[in-house]
Amino acid sequence: MSEVILKGLKKVYDNKVTAVHDVNLDIADKEFIVLVGPSGCGKSTTLRMVAGLEEISDGELYIDGRLVNDVAPKDRDIAMVFQNYALYPHMTVYDNLAFALKLRKTPKAEIDRKVREVAEILDITQYLERKPKALSGGQRQRVAIGRAMVRDPKVFLMDEPLSNLDAKLRNQMRAEIIKLRSRIDTTFMYVTHDQTEAMTLGDRIVIMKDGYVNQIGTPQEVFNKPVNLFVAGFIGMPVMNFFDNCKLLKENGKYIAEIRGVKFVLSEFQQKALTQNQVEPCDIVAGIRPQHVTVGEGELSAMIEVSEMMGSEYNIHARCEGDEVVMLIPTIDLTADVSMGKMVNFTTRPNLIQLFDKASGNNLIWYDADSAAKDAPVCKRYDF
Amino acid sequence: MDAVTSAPKGTLSPEKPKLENKKLKAFKENAPFLIMIFPAVLVVFLFNYMPIYGVLIAFQDFMPGDKILSPDTIWVGFENFQRFFSDPQFWPLMKNTFLICIYGFIIGFPLPILVSLMLNSLKGKKTAKFLQTIFTAPHFISLVVLVGMLTLFFGRYGLVNNIVAHGGGERYSYFLETGAFRPLYILSSNWQDFGWSAVIYIAALSNVDPQQHEAAILDGATRFQRVIHVDLPAIMPMISVMLIMSIGGLMGVGYEKALLMQTDGNLAVSELISTYVYKRGLTGVPDQAYATAIGLFNSIINVVLLVIANTTSKKFSENSLW
Amino acid sequence: MTKRKNALRDTVGDKIFYIINGFFLLLLALIILYPLYFIIIASISDPDAVLGGEVVLYPVRITMEGFAKIMERGDVWRGYLNTIIYTGLTVVLSLIVTIPAGWALSRKTLPGKKAFMIYFIIPMFFGGGLIPFYNVMQSLGLINTMWSVILPAILSVWNLFMTKTFFESSIPNGLIEAAKIDGAGQFRIFTSVVIPLSKAVIAVMALYYAVGQWNSYFNAMIFLQDETKYPLQLVLKEILIASENTTGGSGETILQQYRLANQLKYVSVIVSSLPVLLLYPFVQKYFAQGVMIGSLKE
Repeated sequence: MSEVILKGLKKVYDNKVTAVHDVNLDIADKEFIVLVGPSGCGKSTTLRMVAGLEEISDGELYIDGRLVNDVAPKDRDIAMVFQNYALYPHMTVYDNLAFALKLRKTPKAEIDRKVREVAEILDITQYLERKPKALSGGQRQRVAIGRAMVRDPKVFLMDEPLSNLDAKLRNQMRAEIIKLRSRIDTTFMYVTHDQTEAMTLGDRIVIMKDGYVNQIGTPQEVFNKPVNLFVAGFIGMPVMNFFDNCKLLKENGKYIAEIRGVKFVLSEFQQKALTQNQVEPCDIVAGIRPQHVTVGEGELSAMIEVSEMMGSEYNIHARCEGDEVVMLIPTIDLTADVSMGKMVNFTTRPNLIQLFDKASGNNLIWYDADSAAKDAPVCKRYDF
Repeated sequence: MDAVTSAPKGTLSPEKPKLENKKLKAFKENAPFLIMIFPAVLVVFLFNYMPIYGVLIAFQDFMPGDKILSPDTIWVGFENFQRFFSDPQFWPLMKNTFLICIYGFIIGFPLPILVSLMLNSLKGKKTAKFLQTIFTAPHFISLVVLVGMLTLFFGRYGLVNNIVAHGGGERYSYFLETGAFRPLYILSSNWQDFGWSAVIYIAALSNVDPQQHEAAILDGATRFQRVIHVDLPAIMPMISVMLIMSIGGLMGVGYEKALLMQTDGNLAVSELISTYVYKRGLTGVPDQAYATAIGLFNSIINVVLLVIANTTSKKFSENSLW
Repeated sequence: MTKRKNALRDTVGDKIFYIINGFFLLLLALIILYPLYFIIIASISDPDAVLGGEVVLYPVRITMEGFAKIMERGDVWRGYLNTIIYTGLTVVLSLIVTIPAGWALSRKTLPGKKAFMIYFIIPMFFGGGLIPFYNVMQSLGLINTMWSVILPAILSVWNLFMTKTFFESSIPNGLIEAAKIDGAGQFRIFTSVVIPLSKAVIAVMALYYAVGQWNSYFNAMIFLQDETKYPLQLVLKEILIASENTTGGSGETILQQYRLANQLKYVSVIVSSLPVLLLYPFVQKYFAQGVMIGSLKE
């Protein structure tokens, strides 16, 4: 059992800047949790508070049921992989892996066994006698992970571990981390600014902005049920299209989204949810994911500005009454002429439209006021 | 430390004691730094701060062996300073000190800048490195050897005189003439240190983005124009800082080299405030209080000059020491 | 500079610039090198030829007489030995004082950091002056001991700040954090992580302190009375400079004195500067590094 509980965790710097506001998070044993957000959102600070590298200004941190606010990093039973690896340049790979164990006065034979075992898993045995300088980026990354592994920590912390690698290597290492996870079998806390990493690695994702947690949820939840504009815009590639100045209408007891004058009668589920939430007709921002756009039919129209053939799909940038609309259309589904300057019709399925309150930016369906009030916002659950 | 709380959902622990505990913990963790810094603190205390305390004798009627503070201490206020101001040596000392500094500054300040720009303009990087090695070498010659070399070159039986005599001319004692002291002092100082002083500018120049030069080339700038418009602006902040420091040192010439070069013949120009302090305070019949007062007067001039230079620079540019 | 630049053709103006620039730099190099070269050729030439102004570009009637004579000078070799001892002790002690203090000063978490900074900055701009310094040394009972030469030289505030700047810019914070998580305490971090990564700054500091002590004469002059404790520079001062002040005597005897004294001077300059100048080409990159370390923060 090694769950991690963050209770009202807060970081205020000496200059009174609050980097992290009341983070509440219950991380289950062996869960892989990813903190994601733009730079300066407080995700790294949160991780460093868990590591013990930043002092906790307020709140409580429990690791495995033990309050560790005032426990030194080395006694928290955690290990950390740093963004720039932080390998000791003057030590060989072997010594880098063994350093923590040596400091713990682990018997020599035991150290040797563990180091070799980890090196075997990570496929770095042949580099054990080299210095980090003689390794490639990917190899250094493995050593950094290995250094954390030899300690069998209760919690494995990773601070943007892949951001120094090039795109190809990053994909490769990402896959390795997924594989690794099944072998290490411990609790992970992983920080990244890259939403793709977050989506592929995390059991649950914590999306942060300006020191606040915006949503906690599984990848499916944060993608399909974003609680507000920020989460909707942050998760998903390409970025969700937002149509400002739209209206939520109610005609004949039915909720209707009006986007650029075109009316979409919302789905059965949306009707029920909006009714339960007692939503009144209002100004909204409508969100449509580029993947959810269909071209060549419907009543919305846009002029093609750029059209990129990506192989299996087309990435189309068009302009619809001043709004830029990005569409991702599978090549085989594309029948319309999408060359530059052409006008095309497009539409989407009403149940895929995300509805955000214009005033608050919250999702009219998925925003959950109760959990938000507890500083642990999750998407709203419905029992129908 | 191992405060195991079984139920994490308990209420927040009381605030105040926790905070103090935190401070104590942080202090404990960082206390080793205090041990690491202690020897340096001690050395500076002994050899820098105790002498500062010792300047009190400048305001006393002090005899060697007296305690600095005791009931018997005779305080004389600024008497020692007034004595110095009415000392017939006062104006010659001020003049000698100022002149050697200002001449030294006029030559010694721009020369390293010029040399760094010239070295930086060389095409071959290896040649530049090699020349820099040569230029910095004299910095590591000791003052005793440097002055010794001066006597070997300009002494009555030194190289210059030997050549002159060889050609039938008259030997000239550079070391015994008042006219030769300042040029010898300043030129030898520059010979010794221009290369070393240039290193700091060379370092700054090596940080100039080569693309800036390439952009200037495409704009049609000649190499000389690039020196003026690319290189020089790059080291301007450094120049400002050095200028402030130099102005702060305009009355701060030390005794070490001047003492070595002094002869009975050139004393009229080679006696500086600092050498005078040495002579009055440590040689002959020492008058320590008087010498300390002179030294203190000199230090205060330096600090005042530095503050003036710094505030002026702050006013007219964004560069300053503090 | 950049390699690409050579691909561009120089204009006539640029060519002239390069030629003039190269000429003046060459001239400067000659001005630096000739005096050093002359000392060497004069030391191995017949003293009469030197005195007669014949030795200008090459040695005349080569003789090793001067070197033979200096071998017999007990005071020179004793001074040499003293200087080696003083320098060695100075370097060891100065590193013990400077490096840990520089590390501590570079840490944000040093308790009372601001106060310490001010404490070390003040002596850079203001001091008590020579006489109070002398009195302090006297009251510490250091006069006429080798510690009077060594102890005041074991900390230069400039060097301390240079070390601090090096640590701030060259030791990645992540490494220290990693060590903390690995379970190392502050002392352990310093000895196992910081020191192995600071060879450059340790070398630079050792060289600075060594050269400073090797070349200094003034403290020895005022604090040491016992000639057997004189460092090399003080012995050299007697050989090189003292005689220049004498003016009396008849022309012939003075000339004869100069003949022998001068040769000894040339030789002693070489003998005393040899260690520094021999070492210099190999370590000069470290010296320059030091200046650059120091300039980072300026």
